[in-house]
Amino acid sequence: MADLEIKDLHVRIEEREILRGVDLEINRGEIHALMGPNGSGKSTLANTLLGHPSYEVTQGSIVFKGEDLTEAEPHDRAKAGLFLAFQYPVSIPGVSVANFLRMAINAKRDEPIQVKEFRTQLQHAIELLDVDKAFTSRHLNDGFSGGEKKRAEILQMAMLAPDVAILDETDSGLDIDALRTVAEGVQRLHDEQGLGALIITHYQRILHYVKPEFVHILMDGKIVLEGGVELVERLEREGYDQIRQEVGAGVAGVVAAGDSGV
Amino acid sequence: MENGSLPTNGTAPVQVKAGRHREASLYHALAGAGAGDGRTLAQLREAALVAYEAAELPVWRRSGFWSTSLQSLDLDALASSMEERGVPDVVTRTLPEGPRAGRIVQSAGAVVQVQLDEALAERGVILCSLEQAFEQHGELVSEWYCKRLPIDRHKLEAANAAFWTGGAFLYVPAGVVVEEPFEIVYAIDRQGVAQYGRTLVLGAPTSDFRVHEYDVAENFQGQALHAGAFECYLQDGARCRVAQFQDWGRGEVFDVSTRLVGVGRDAYCHWLPALLGGHLVRQHLELAVMEKGGDMAFRGLFFAEEHEHLDVFAVDLHETGPSGGDVHWRGAATGESRASFEGLIQIDPGAQQTHTYLQIHSMMLSPKARIDAIPSVLVSADDVSASHGGTVGELDETAIFYMQTRGLDRPAAVRVIVEGFFEPLVAELQDEALEELVRATVDRKLAAAREDIEAYATSR
Repeated sequence: MADLEIKDLHVRIEEREILRGVDLEINRGEIHALMGPNGSGKSTLANTLLGHPSYEVTQGSIVFKGEDLTEAEPHDRAKAGLFLAFQYPVSIPGVSVANFLRMAINAKRDEPIQVKEFRTQLQHAIELLDVDKAFTSRHLNDGFSGGEKKRAEILQMAMLAPDVAILDETDSGLDIDALRTVAEGVQRLHDEQGLGALIITHYQRILHYVKPEFVHILMDGKIVLEGGVELVERLEREGYDQIRQEVGAGVAGVVAAGDSGV
Repeated sequence: MENGSLPTNGTAPVQVKAGRHREASLYHALAGAGAGDGRTLAQLREAALVAYEAAELPVWRRSGFWSTSLQSLDLDALASSMEERGVPDVVTRTLPEGPRAGRIVQSAGAVVQVQLDEALAERGVILCSLEQAFEQHGELVSEWYCKRLPIDRHKLEAANAAFWTGGAFLYVPAGVVVEEPFEIVYAIDRQGVAQYGRTLVLGAPTSDFRVHEYDVAENFQGQALHAGAFECYLQDGARCRVAQFQDWGRGEVFDVSTRLVGVGRDAYCHWLPALLGGHLVRQHLELAVMEKGGDMAFRGLFFAEEHEHLDVFAVDLHETGPSGGDVHWRGAATGESRASFEGLIQIDPGAQQTHTYLQIHSMMLSPKARIDAIPSVLVSADDVSASHGGTVGELDETAIFYMQTRGLDRPAAVRVIVEGFFEPLVAELQDEALEELVRATVDRKLAAAREDIEAYATSR
């Protein structure tokens, strides 16, 4: 049984069905890429996995480490070891990055983290994400540039050490330096901590810096194609339209070709 | 007093059109009722008594749909007790342990504790009851007492001026710099008390100090009254940080107070009232730059809960220029509480080169809570900048979800948002112990309103 098992997931938002039967399995230590054109349901999947209240699961299940989280509160999913890096991180005025991190870490623990231990972890994460120390005393995402926000997301991810992280279009809007820093951060957390990741992206460029072992293509609320990293290259050559034609115009009802080696 | 003309510098008084809805449109700067006209304390008390007897309990009409009314106060049932009962538990329980320059505690009508750092006393600092100050430093006190505070605009203001006992007097001599706060405490230890608190603070030229006022009460059942009058005058180059922590507890405490800080030449005041609880609270707060080069930061925060009623009228007054001002208030409301914050920038004729800004931010945490924030600007000079801004917010569900995905449960996320909302002001207290007290009080009120906040979230 995989660490994260998504089975036949159907999701609705305001009477509209966005996900129409998604199956996906992700383990610790695996890097997956989920790609798809705009409107295919990528962000819906990300938000649903963490339990956003606006998304209604009408069918299927989300099981994480043997525990059914389909109906769980978002914070319980976080405590179980899931993490979502937001496409549009929310600013929290009046709360410093460091204080917020301390609260988040303590929320997962019985005893509050020791000051020294926290500092050590924070220092490590700061170096990983190539931010300066003053960054952590700024109010979370408040007045941050796009790149700083995404760095702050990965910084939180590094500190909270989830088993599986979902990165929702973390690459969008980043210049190449920020993109590289963020991507390398993810890669190192994978290498050092055994992080499992689902990298959701519209583009291919982040995948030049983080190497996914598994690639899934989402169209019209279903995964229509699965494979290895060669799928990224193919997508780069052919584009979504070509793939759409191959798997069937309109997609409805067409299930993925390719191997099921997930 | 309502019909008095604005102070002028040789130009015609500004024409102000009276309107029913806004206090500002009827407003004129607090005019001196005391020392300026040479009356003695006894004469002032007598004049106030006449006003007291002539007046009904006040009602401040806010707009068509609500007003601040003292009609439910059973004033005849209250007594200004002089009985010495020691320092109430609530004082020991609430006030921070940290170092201080001195402390004066008034419980009901009597001063029950006065303590002043000996080294400061040797340098001429005075901290004592106002009664004692009149006896021992009559000339100094008489020069400033009631210099700007009126005594007869309404029944409770007159009651204070007529009946006050105890009181607090703080004098910091020229050039004396004190890091630790002077604590002035008004405590109500039981129901049935009418407390007429009277404070006079004088900062002599280039003095530099802090005043922390605490207004606290035991959790009794029944009514009590605090009718307060606070005046603080800062002379040339003096600097003062005034903070006020107010939480009148669970009893039915009415608080109707008038407070004024006058900023002299090149002087500076940072004033931050934290109004955190009271059955019915009406505060008239005025920070006046009276002389050239005066500068001020007027901050404030409030948190109303349950059925509390809070009415704040805060004035940023500039009588001469160049001068600076910066007004920034934040308030939140839960339960069925009502809060009205009216902020006024008034720039008098001749106060050229004044630059000031007023911002009010409010956050509604319950469907039945209500905050009205009304900014006004009255400008009678042409070479100035004065503007205002503000926000009205509710809990941001996206922000809550964001924090939940980091492992914080919903109440914790709400707490982070509300704390974060107040934090820019709390941090300005620049006193760790007091900051912690304010944060903890806000937390406690949020925890008490948890169900209410939940219901609000799910109803939207």
